[in-house]
Amino acid sequence: MECLLALSHAGKCYGTRAIFKDVSCAVPAGSITLLAGANGAGKSTLMRVMAGLSRLTAGTVSHHVEAAALGYLGHATFVYPTLSALENLAFWAKLYGLNANEHSLLPLLRRVELERFARERSGTFSRGMAQRLNLARVLLLQPRLLLLDEPATGLDVRSAALLRAEIAAAKERGAGIVWISHDVAGDAPLADSIFLLQDKKLAYAGSAAAFMQGGAVW
Amino acid sequence: MVAASWHIAAKDLRLCLVRGGGLVQALLLGLLLLFVFSLSQQVGETMSAQGAAAIFWLSSAFCQVLVFNMLYSLEEVNASRLGLLLMPAPVQAVWLGKGLAGLVLLLLAQLIFLPASVVFLGQHIGAAWPQALLMLFLVDVGMAALGSLLGALSQGQAARESLLSIVLFPLLVPLLLAGIRVGSAAFAAAMPEGAASWMGIAAAFDALFCGAGIVLFSFIYAGDD
Repeated sequence: MECLLALSHAGKCYGTRAIFKDVSCAVPAGSITLLAGANGAGKSTLMRVMAGLSRLTAGTVSHHVEAAALGYLGHATFVYPTLSALENLAFWAKLYGLNANEHSLLPLLRRVELERFARERSGTFSRGMAQRLNLARVLLLQPRLLLLDEPATGLDVRSAALLRAEIAAAKERGAGIVWISHDVAGDAPLADSIFLLQDKKLAYAGSAAAFMQGGAVW
Repeated sequence: MVAASWHIAAKDLRLCLVRGGGLVQALLLGLLLLFVFSLSQQVGETMSAQGAAAIFWLSSAFCQVLVFNMLYSLEEVNASRLGLLLMPAPVQAVWLGKGLAGLVLLLLAQLIFLPASVVFLGQHIGAAWPQALLMLFLVDVGMAALGSLLGALSQGQAARESLLSIVLFPLLVPLLLAGIRVGSAAFAAAMPEGAASWMGIAAAFDALFCGAGIVLFSFIYAGDD
């Protein structure tokens, strides 16, 4: 299976404090990988390294996709509050050299159920609506490698279901997905594999089914 | 990279000008400086052309600090900075885009500071204004290049915000000096001696600050906190 991202003996320190060390793993195309671990285990830092947003202290990270094919959905919504939903999407579309006209952007807003708010300033949006606009931004890019850092934060049940459907659709499209989730037991059925960060190391990297059969609780 | 820079600059100008993002504060501070200095004059007294040019550039320098703080703070609200870092273009596109937007805003502010200098400081436009205008543009390019680099440095923790003004002003001294020397020609009857040399110095510092921006920006504007 095609490998989209690989880490080899990766380590990250902030000053003298080690966040993780000797992490080696790969993300194949057409798969969902859950990144699990307790609070403060270094999941978000590892994901930022995967996205190229943070430099490694040791080891290497290799991307086998172009920068334009990498999607990142995290806690922060990347929304400009004084721009409308449509203007926000148009800005990101232009930055990625994509079609930024209304006809191509409105269907995306429809997909995340924000079409009727298309011309409203996104500063008036709730946290959940802003996150759905962020999801529309990621959908716009049609990423081959999708990195999700607790993307359901602030989403209601309906929006969380929408998000899960889009994640499943991205996998069907052949995207490789790494997903930090608070609800590993609930999300594991969607996943193919699990990476577990524990004691600053990658304690488990293997099949999600085997992980859950082992009775792990996260 | 140029296309990405252009889109960033257009977005920033839209946020600052159309959506009332706040050039007003920078303008008011500059105008206040001009007005306060005008009070130092006796009624009917005329300030020297060089003195007026110095006050004009002081207003412009303060305006520049506020403009670049404002431009880089746009990306801090919802961490859009990370989005810009992920775009498929070199990160220097952000430096260039912010620099372009800052240059436009600075020129717009000076469009108001210049007549205000004439009115408040009792000056008149001299014959050498085209050369002074060229000098103004040369100095502004350098101010924008350096402001964009150091504006990125100032974002994040509050303690670092003061860095912009602390680091910026000493580095700007040669450019400001050139601007004052040749800029005074706008308010005088003739060009000052050595104007060509001052223009050469300004152009050299423009090139230096642009080079520094291209080389150093990726170390300053990063995803690591």
